[in-house]
Amino acid sequence: MTDRTPGVGADDGAGTGGAGARRDELTAAALADDLSPSERVEFDALRAADPSIDAELASLGVVVGGLSDFGRWDDVAPSDGLRERVDAVGRVGDDPAVSHIGPHVATARSGRGRRPLLIAVAAAACLAIGAGGGVLLATPRDTVVAGPAGTLGAVEHVDFVGQPAGVDLDGDLVAHTWGTETVLSIDGLPTGSAFTVVVVGDDGREYESGAFLGSDVRVDCRLNAAVLRSDVASVEIRAADGHDIAVASVPPVTS
Amino acid sequence: MIAVMGRAGPVPGRVADRSPMSEGSSGLDVRAAFVEHGSSLLGFAVNALRDRALAEDCVQETFVRAWRARDSFDADRGSVRTWLFAIERRVVLDVYRARTRTPSVVPLEHAPDPVATVADPLERLGMAEGLARLSDDHRAAVVAVHLEGLSYREVSERTGVPVATLRTRVFHALRALRTHLDDQETTDD
Repeated sequence: MTDRTPGVGADDGAGTGGAGARRDELTAAALADDLSPSERVEFDALRAADPSIDAELASLGVVVGGLSDFGRWDDVAPSDGLRERVDAVGRVGDDPAVSHIGPHVATARSGRGRRPLLIAVAAAACLAIGAGGGVLLATPRDTVVAGPAGTLGAVEHVDFVGQPAGVDLDGDLVAHTWGTETVLSIDGLPTGSAFTVVVVGDDGREYESGAFLGSDVRVDCRLNAAVLRSDVASVEIRAADGHDIAVASVPPVTS
Repeated sequence: MIAVMGRAGPVPGRVADRSPMSEGSSGLDVRAAFVEHGSSLLGFAVNALRDRALAEDCVQETFVRAWRARDSFDADRGSVRTWLFAIERRVVLDVYRARTRTPSVVPLEHAPDPVATVADPLERLGMAEGLARLSDDHRAAVVAVHLEGLSYREVSERTGVPVATLRTRVFHALRALRTHLDDQETTDD
């Protein structure tokens, strides 16, 4: 679908010519059962001369049927609050990792400390990165949405504890409208072994977030759980036998 | 469900749809994009989900994702508006599915309006997006006639727009909706 209505240049019939515009006009009237008796005679004559009109009537009639099931349409205007929230997207924040707005913000970072994490559209996406992998990476901190725990779109670092010696593990949470995203960067887990990520609610309920395999190269993962950040108490990484590999307790959402 | 959309044609009286992206760069002017398209994006989400607060979250999330993916935007493949709607479609669908999976108990006065009055809820989302993407004039005409059930004469008396113009607007709006729904079916296959 072309945006903002194709054919708007023909809005008043100027674009399709007199006969075509009249045909379009009568077709629209027929679909709304809005033809006058004289228009009905005129339209019937047009249909007899041009069988394609009936095909169009049938096709557009399906759309009209869908509209009749739709209910009402609410015209809305964005609130000031939404405007402010969107304005915050892409604005330079206090995060020293973000130096300016622009395409270069997403430049990969490497080395010790916070690891580069893949930004991908798909949920529960994982990437194993070999040396010199040549993959352009961006950290979720580049979203530049800032705020306390639970702020939609903001990246919240969490500290995992309990991981075996030799396992390097870095984690973030991102609050979304539909749940909580866990962003992991892991190195040192046994290659080929399966691990699951479970988000535990403050009522003790467990929410499956996804699984990944250990690799001999660093694994970057994004996993989603259907629990709101405000209801999350911890995130656990478990081995195939169910034992915890690492656990991150997360602070309560206060706002 | 990522539709490959055609480019937006210029609309009389409107600035060509390129201002939110800096020409020759992948920088996204979030504020300009929101001013230009925020109402339409919110209209899609509100009418798809029937939950104003959730819909505003969806719009914010759309811009967050757009900002993250700004380097992947290709003006040769479609307009900023088309790109934002494609992102929002995934956001709204995610929210819709999550809400379907996790029903919550809320006071009756806070319950959102029922959504699924059609057999396939995805059809409703598709129709909501299609309506949101129409121009204001075309959407107003088709909503008045086919959702509110007014006659063209009644709409004309209410708006001052001639009946012939209203009919032509509705005709083109229905065609645009049909194309949009057909595209969705194609990309869903």
